[in-house]
Amino acid sequence: MNRPLRVAHLFPELLNLYADRGNLAVLRARAVVRGIDLEVVPIRLGEPLNLAELDMVLLGGGSDKEQMQVASMLPQYQSDLHYAVEAGMPMLAVCGGYQLLGDYYETLGGDLVKGLRLVEMYTKAEPGTRLVGNIAIECSSIPGVVRQTVVGFENHQGRTYHPYLPLGKVLSGYGNNGRDGLEGLHHLGVIGTYIHGPLLPKNPHLADYLLTKARAFRGVQEPLVELDDTLEWRAHEHVLQMLGISKTTPAETSQPSESLA
Amino acid sequence: MSFRALLAVWMSKFVTIGLKIMGRGATSLPGVIAQRVYLLLPDRLLRQIDTCVIVTGTNGKTTTTELLYAMLHSDDEPWLVNRGGANLIQGILATLLQKTNWRGRLTVKRVLLEVDEATMRLVLPSIRPQVLVLTNVLRDQLDRYGEIDQTIMLLRNAAWGADTTLVTNADDPLCVAISSINQKPVFFGYAPMESTDETSVVDLVSGNQVRDGAFCEKCGALLSYERYFYGQMGIYACPECSFKRPELSFAGRVLDAGTAASQLCVNEYAATQDWRPSEDREFLVPNPLKGLYNAYNLLAATSAARTLGVSPSRIAEASKRFIQPLGRMQVFPGHPERILSLIKNPTGADSVLSTVAQDAREKMVCFVINDNFADGRDVSWLWDVDLEVFVENSPSTRYVCAGTRAADMALRLAYAGVDRLDIKIVDDTEALLLVGNEEALPVYVLSTYTALHPLVSLLTHAQPKEFRGKAVSAS
Ligand SMILES: [Zn+2]
Repeated sequence: MNRPLRVAHLFPELLNLYADRGNLAVLRARAVVRGIDLEVVPIRLGEPLNLAELDMVLLGGGSDKEQMQVASMLPQYQSDLHYAVEAGMPMLAVCGGYQLLGDYYETLGGDLVKGLRLVEMYTKAEPGTRLVGNIAIECSSIPGVVRQTVVGFENHQGRTYHPYLPLGKVLSGYGNNGRDGLEGLHHLGVIGTYIHGPLLPKNPHLADYLLTKARAFRGVQEPLVELDDTLEWRAHEHVLQMLGISKTTPAETSQPSESLA
Repeated sequence: MSFRALLAVWMSKFVTIGLKIMGRGATSLPGVIAQRVYLLLPDRLLRQIDTCVIVTGTNGKTTTTELLYAMLHSDDEPWLVNRGGANLIQGILATLLQKTNWRGRLTVKRVLLEVDEATMRLVLPSIRPQVLVLTNVLRDQLDRYGEIDQTIMLLRNAAWGADTTLVTNADDPLCVAISSINQKPVFFGYAPMESTDETSVVDLVSGNQVRDGAFCEKCGALLSYERYFYGQMGIYACPECSFKRPELSFAGRVLDAGTAASQLCVNEYAATQDWRPSEDREFLVPNPLKGLYNAYNLLAATSAARTLGVSPSRIAEASKRFIQPLGRMQVFPGHPERILSLIKNPTGADSVLSTVAQDAREKMVCFVINDNFADGRDVSWLWDVDLEVFVENSPSTRYVCAGTRAADMALRLAYAGVDRLDIKIVDDTEALLLVGNEEALPVYVLSTYTALHPLVSLLTHAQPKEFRGKAVSAS
């Protein structure tokens, strides 16, 4: 590769509510320790997206007010991002960013905030309690990962509905809408989820999956070197334990061959 | 007072007596029970207050309140205050009930209340404070629940009487935005000397960045900063409209920061309002506290006290005698020396860490991170703390993590660049007492709210006899 792997962080000045920089720090560190050059490209609202220069897109969450501000400027990004999704570029959208992927967000007052329409999906702020708390899901949609659980924290008023594969099945928590037992979305390269915490530190398998996808998008097919993720899994297991979920029976954890330290 | 209200007061008194017989100290239980009996009791008591001062904001409420109390209270003019961060409605009610007689009458005239931002909604309709101190409005934690925007709306729309003076932080654009509705805001702000004066900028150069871009509340443009102090606080102006940091009534700067002789130099600027002294003056207040964030607290309390007519000499006297609230850079002398501090959100944690970084000694740092309700269930805020800066500036530090989310903290440290071999996780806080013994290194213990008070007792009991009772605030 003659240029670094590039991750676009969309609208970091507005969508930065749930410590998304943690997700970026994890992607960067896990790339660097393997000798992969990774660059985060912040794209401020209004700035153009130079797709040819990018390998992955990250979209975080903001407060309602900030999300509305972003939504008003979304049309200019729509066709570019649509093309990127069709081309299989990996994209991670968390919380508010996840909601923005769809057709619209309906507020409690019945107003429609238009989204990116990258997938057929809508979100409705339904009356009732916010869906808040620790969450664990069984993540069947990602092949070849060392563990099948994904853990973190969710906090949303909106209930999301879509016909695609979810990221996983809720083991404990609410997920997309607190009704159908499904969490997130996984369609082509796009992963949308309500899980933050942030998402990637305690879910290193997801982080590596995204890195692998981004590299593949660039045409690099080599598998990633395994890392020593003892701490990562300890934090992961701790959430499972708090939620009363007994140790899952995943594929064997592979032996660490390199230390991240 | 209605019979129901009286009954509620009596119930609380019986419960208090009962608790005393059982040897239990002050809790919010009497308040909880009284309000069960009569939901409107807080309103009925708050309405009886003659002179009321309220301190609210995201960070620094407890320290500011304690400082202001020391400046206002005297035997001749007693003030009632809710101590120890009992700033939710039950804590406020329990405080008022202590000074309520059997006939349901409040027996003190003057009340100083620390009120949680979210609790302001419950308090403001019942009371019109003479002075409302707003320390700062930091978005980083509460905003997750959409509460900051609600608080801003609430404070903006509050029925400001002509008799309420808002004393607030000019360096914080959110405070200034809120103040626009008040008829006579009093602004305090930090006024560092030029960069040649190192003592006054010692906090400013430690690498704290602005958390998120702060936006103009008037037109939405990204504010441009001439200077950052901490969080979104600094000297700023909107490039698109007229919004900027307002003129100060009280400008403070720290002299001899971090030493026992540290003082806050306050410049008071005469204004057109007749309730304030008619001439400019400068005075010094001993600064018993570490850190720029505490200088802000001292400046807030001083500005409020001056607004209420307290003399500079009395303010200085009070500050000299001041004992810092528990667990705010509280030093437990001994071998090793231990220093305990509360951390509860990214901006506060950044400030504490920058103060820790100023201690040039080799040291151990323990994080005790809980995720109980009062701590915040969501620990993602740990990733918004500027640990990378701290780790880079403190290369020889070793780390210990405890609390319900010890593993999350350990992971955070690893990704901030700490060698994984230098991070230890311990299962219970008692194990923290073993930390630093062998190495004879000072131990900083940084803890979230629910672990703080247990740690105060733990660390106090662990002190050798000759040091007992010598827990002091850092100076
Ligand atoms: Zn403006």
